[in-house]
Formats: sequence, C-alpha cells, structure tokens
Amino acid sequence: MNPRADRWLAYSMILPVVFAVLAFIVGPTYDVFTLSFTRFVMGQELGFGTLVNFRALFSDPLFMQVLVNTAIWILGGTFFCVLLGLAIGAYLAVDSPITTALRALILLPWILPDVVTAMAWKWMLHGQVGILGQSLSQIGLTDRPISFLGDPDLVMWTLVAVVIWRKMPLVALILCAAIRSVPQDQHEAGKIDGANVLQRFRFIVMPHIAFSLTAVTVISMIWITAEFTLPWVMTGGGPANASQIMATYIYQQSFQFFNWGVGAAMSVVNLVMLMAIVGLYLYIMRRSWASGAAP
Amino acid sequence: MKITPSRRRFLAGSAAIAAASAFPMPAVRAASGTVSVWKFGGTPTEVEMWPERNAAFAAGHPDIGLDYSYFYGQIRRQKILAGFQTRRLADVVIAFGQDIPEFAGFGMIQPLDPIAGDRMAGWKERIVPEVLQSGMHQGQLYGLPTYVDMASFLAIDMDALNEAGFDRPPATWSELREYARAMTKPDRPGIAMPATTAPVDINIFEGIAYANGGRVFDEANNTVTLNGPGMVDALQLYADLIADGSTPAGSAMTETNFRDTATLFSQGRVAMWVGLSWLNTPWGTPDDLNWQGTPFPRPDTVTGAFAPVNAIMDPTAILMVSARSENPEAAIEYLDFWSQDEQLALWGGEPEFARVPAGKVAWEQPTLAEKWPGWVEAYQAGTLFKGAEPMPRFIGVSVVETALGNAIQQVVLGQQSPQEALDAATEGAQQQIDILRG
Repeated sequence: MNPRADRWLAYSMILPVVFAVLAFIVGPTYDVFTLSFTRFVMGQELGFGTLVNFRALFSDPLFMQVLVNTAIWILGGTFFCVLLGLAIGAYLAVDSPITTALRALILLPWILPDVVTAMAWKWMLHGQVGILGQSLSQIGLTDRPISFLGDPDLVMWTLVAVVIWRKMPLVALILCAAIRSVPQDQHEAGKIDGANVLQRFRFIVMPHIAFSLTAVTVISMIWITAEFTLPWVMTGGGPANASQIMATYIYQQSFQFFNWGVGAAMSVVNLVMLMAIVGLYLYIMRRSWASGAAP
Repeated sequence: MKITPSRRRFLAGSAAIAAASAFPMPAVRAASGTVSVWKFGGTPTEVEMWPERNAAFAAGHPDIGLDYSYFYGQIRRQKILAGFQTRRLADVVIAFGQDIPEFAGFGMIQPLDPIAGDRMAGWKERIVPEVLQSGMHQGQLYGLPTYVDMASFLAIDMDALNEAGFDRPPATWSELREYARAMTKPDRPGIAMPATTAPVDINIFEGIAYANGGRVFDEANNTVTLNGPGMVDALQLYADLIADGSTPAGSAMTETNFRDTATLFSQGRVAMWVGLSWLNTPWGTPDDLNWQGTPFPRPDTVTGAFAPVNAIMDPTAILMVSARSENPEAAIEYLDFWSQDEQLALWGGEPEFARVPAGKVAWEQPTLAEKWPGWVEAYQAGTLFKGAEPMPRFIGVSVVETALGNAIQQVVLGQQSPQEALDAATEGAQQQIDILRG
C-alpha cells in the first residue's frame, strides 16, 4: 500500500462533503455576517462596514423580551426534552412486549410534518373551539376553557410542551439504545454489592451513557433553536409578543418587514449565543465526553 | 437535391446566424411561451374557480404554457421576496394591493402602462373606476384588480337582537356598546372581535379607526401616527366592550382569528362579530340562522385628526407583473384574460358572492342583487365607494401593522391602556420605519 496514494484517496473521498459544507454552511454564514454589517434602505444596499443594524437591535425594546423567551424555549425545551427522554428511554430499555411495541409507536410524532403538527396542536389547544380546553371544562377541571395559546403567562410553556412532544421520542430512543448497551455483568456486580435500582442507575448506567447523553443534549439544543414552524404557525409570536423568540423575530424582521440587515444581525447574535451555550455545556461535560469518546 | 457543404458556405452561414443574434429583430408582439402565475389566498369558491378559468385560458391560448400555483395568503410577502431574491419569481403574482408600494419600491413588480399597450383602454371600460384606482401607485397602474374587500362590517344574529328588544342594527359606537351588553348571555357574549396578529384582524380594526379619523402612518411626514386620537379612541371601544363583559375573555380573543370568530357566530356562541365585506362568505353558517350584515357602527363624534372614511378597501386578488418577467407579453395576455367580462362576472353572486366585484358586468348580475340588494342599490346610486379610501399602503406597512396588532392584543389582554399601548407601538414602529426608509 502506498500511504501517499491512500491519503489522496481519503481526501478525494471527503471532497464532496467539504464542498457541501462550504456551499451550504460556510457560504451562507459568511453572507449573513456581511449582511449584518451592511446598511439597507428601501431594499437597497447603502454600504458595508456599519454597526447600524446591531445598534438598532440592541435599542429595540422588544429584543430583551425575545432573549428571555428564547432562553425559556431553548433551555427549558432542552432540559425537559432530555429529562423526559431519559425517563422514557430507561423505561423502554426494559424488555417486555409493551416496551417493544412502544419503541416503534413512540416515533409517531416524528412522522407528521411540522405544519400539520402545528395546526393540529393549535386547534386542539384553542380555548373556544379546541377539544382540549372544552374537555377540561366539561369534566369540571376548569371553570371556563383555558386559552393555552392566548394567555401570555401560558403560551411559552405550552409551546415548550409541544416541542418536547415533538422532539423527545428520538432522544428517548437514542438513550434507550445507550442504556441497553450497558453490560449486564456490571448490573449484576452492582446487585451483588447491594446497590438498589437508583444507585445502579446513578453509578453504573449514567457514566456509561454520559457520551450519548451529552451528544443528545447538544443535538436537542440545536434542534430546538432551529425550530421555527411550530411557534410561528401556532402563535405567530403572540399574544402581544409573549411567544416571540429569536427564530420567529428573525423571520419577521427579514421576510415581513424587509429589514434584512437587522434580521442578519439577529442571526449573528443567535449563532454566537448558541455557540457559547454549547461550548459551555461541552466544557462542563468535558470529562464524561472524553471518557465516553475514548475506545 | 443534394447539398454539399463547403467551408465558404459554412462560414457565411455561421456569420449570418451570429449577426442575426447580435442584432435581433424587433420583439415579436404575439404572446407565446410560458407564463408562470402565483396566486395567494382567496375564498374556497375562488380557489376552486380560478384553476377552472385557467383551463379556459389555456384552451384559448394554445401557444402559451400556463404554470399556475396557489399558496396560502398569509405567506405571500415571504414567498414573493424569496422568489425575487432567487430570481425565480413568477411572471404574474396575484397578491394584495397593500403590497404594491413595497413591491414596486423594491423593484419586484413593473408598471403595466408601458407593457399593456392598447389593452388598458379595455380595462378602463370594463372595470369600476374606483376599483381600478386601487391598482394605482404614484400615478401608474401596477395591478389589475378583480375585486376589493372593504372594512369594517358587523354580522348580527337578528333573533338575538330582537330578543334583546331592538328592531334595527346599532348605528353608533355607544349604541353598539348598549346592544352588546343587552345581547350578552352567560354562555354567549354579545360581540366578538378577532384580535390575533393575522393581518386581516388588524385590517378589521383599521376600518373602525379610519372611520374615526385615525391613520396609521403620515406618508407626507414619514411619521407613524398610531397614537393619534382617532386610533386611541377606536381601541378604547374594544377596551370598553371587554370591560362591559360583552365579549369573550381577552385571552380567548387573542387566539381567535376572523375565521374562528365566524365559526363561533355560526354556532350561535356569539351574537355579533366584526369582519370585512366578506361576511357573506359561507363560513358554515346554517341556513336557519337569521342574521344580517351591516356596516360597522359609526363613532358618535369623530375624534381623529384626519378625514373620517366610510370604508377602507383593498384588492386582495390583484394581478401584478414581475419586473423580471421574461415574457411580459404572455403575462399581459393573462391579465387581459382576467379583465374580460366572462371572468369578471364570476364575482356577480354566482358562484362567488363574498367579494365586492371589480367588473361592471358583475354589478349587473341578478344573482348579486339577490345576495346583496343594498350594495347593488348603493353602487347604482354611485354611493358605494363614496368616502372609501385604500387600506394602509406604504413602504413599511407591515412594520406598522404588526406594531398595531401587538398594541391591540395588549389592550385586549388588559396589560395596558389604549394610549399606553399605542404610544409604545408608535415609538417602536417609528424606529423600525426609520431603518427601513432611511
């Protein structure tokens, strides 16, 4: 074997992926960065090298609320998605006819298209014409139908609940697979040493699935950050901007207001924030990440 | 005959072809090729009948290939912008009149005057002048309207009205409050106003505010005027109706758009609702529901600084031609097809009766007179469009209307007073407008 030829073969094999990354990730990211430093008036470019879009963004009274909502959306969504995914994954890891069936059924939320999911939830959660609010009212749990999407105090957490319903199944399945890969002899050793179920989960299973848990947390965070259709179709950022998050506000600025510069500036802020959160998380989890990644 | 190619003949032939390419013949005026069309929104009837008539266009124009697509109305700005930026915008775009200033200002659509030629005379002859005017921008025609929607109107359950002891619809805001209170039952609010962030819900409020001398924007001074008295007092009417207990809960209204509100009305779960001129659209209203549509009551005293209007209107299926169309001849042929009486008559009560028609021929249809006798009477008397103005249209309209929508929701939810909410909306929208318009 010729090592040099091997190396060239390897480079040529990954070349298409490199081109794809350059074309679809690096290129658009570069465009967004340049747009964010470009001033637009009436749709016309009036020059590069200005901070006017960032100044406009940080002086926008709504932007702080958008940041808070986005924090609830990303952090709340990721935390509960992974927590619930872990609990359900642990249950699905148990061998039984029910869990075998559930492992397939749990993926149902993934089958539905985003828009269909959003419209269905919007209808079900509607206080006056929706089935959920009416049912709660009819069985006497509430005095009158609850407007889950019309109440500013409820809307953000309602959206978080829907996004968890949507994203959690795959998290649960990934963690289920990780849990099932824990060697049986370690469980048995734990039992012999007198560890109860919780102790075995904490000291045997958790270290073993740490790598998967970290990966799935980062992936969930990215999924939820990128999720646009659910919040936009269900609330459009309302009521009174109570569910306006970065994804919807970027869309609104860019495609409804035609304020492309401000929309791009917000995308840059969003990207930096996401990188910071993911970086911080990976730093905190570096030990489990490294130990899990090691062969 | 055998042709023997020679080097000289080949070179001469090639040179002739090259010369012909470099100095093209004058453009051929006969329309042919492909024309792509994007239509946004419409009533169920319209969505059905448009492709049917497209088939007639295709049959009558075998040299033109028609590529027609229909999209949900509320995504039109995004879709059109994306199409424009990726150079894939359709030749003909059927969108809203409110879009014209921005689309024209950003160079997305072109004026029709230079490309329509002598077709324009026929359009002027067949289309109601006030409606054709709604396609004008800065002295040029940018779109061919097929109908307009007007704001704002009130649908009334007449049995509920009679039961409350009234014999005619309310005529003023104070009467409306009185009627709504009297018609309210524990399980049936007297009135519902849609208050989501959907543009239509905002247009409905604008119709009420403009009748009170309110305006959202002063184009001459480049100033957002959401917090003027005409707007504030109109929003106060919403606040008063809610405070009176005559409406559903505020949080219910902010998630209930015009379509849902119509559903509640058709189910007898609300006695009155506010909408546009398409109140007549078959929203599932049962035949035995005794209801009546009427113009929204007028303010007792006009408080706004601008001239009060009788109605605001917008052509929500106006045909525009892309500035980048490579086949404007075929595009104009398509527009001209929709300006013909055969097509314009479709809005004459059969099959469609939910819109205010653009075609003069539609107003002559007995079916329209049967459905909307008062409207036909007003049209014939020349008063239907009297005092009507276009819905807000300027570069940045979406910014201002979105700010207004949020202010309406804040008031409906009881978070702020109308003045506070509209002051904040004005400030925020002005900041955005300054960036957008420079």
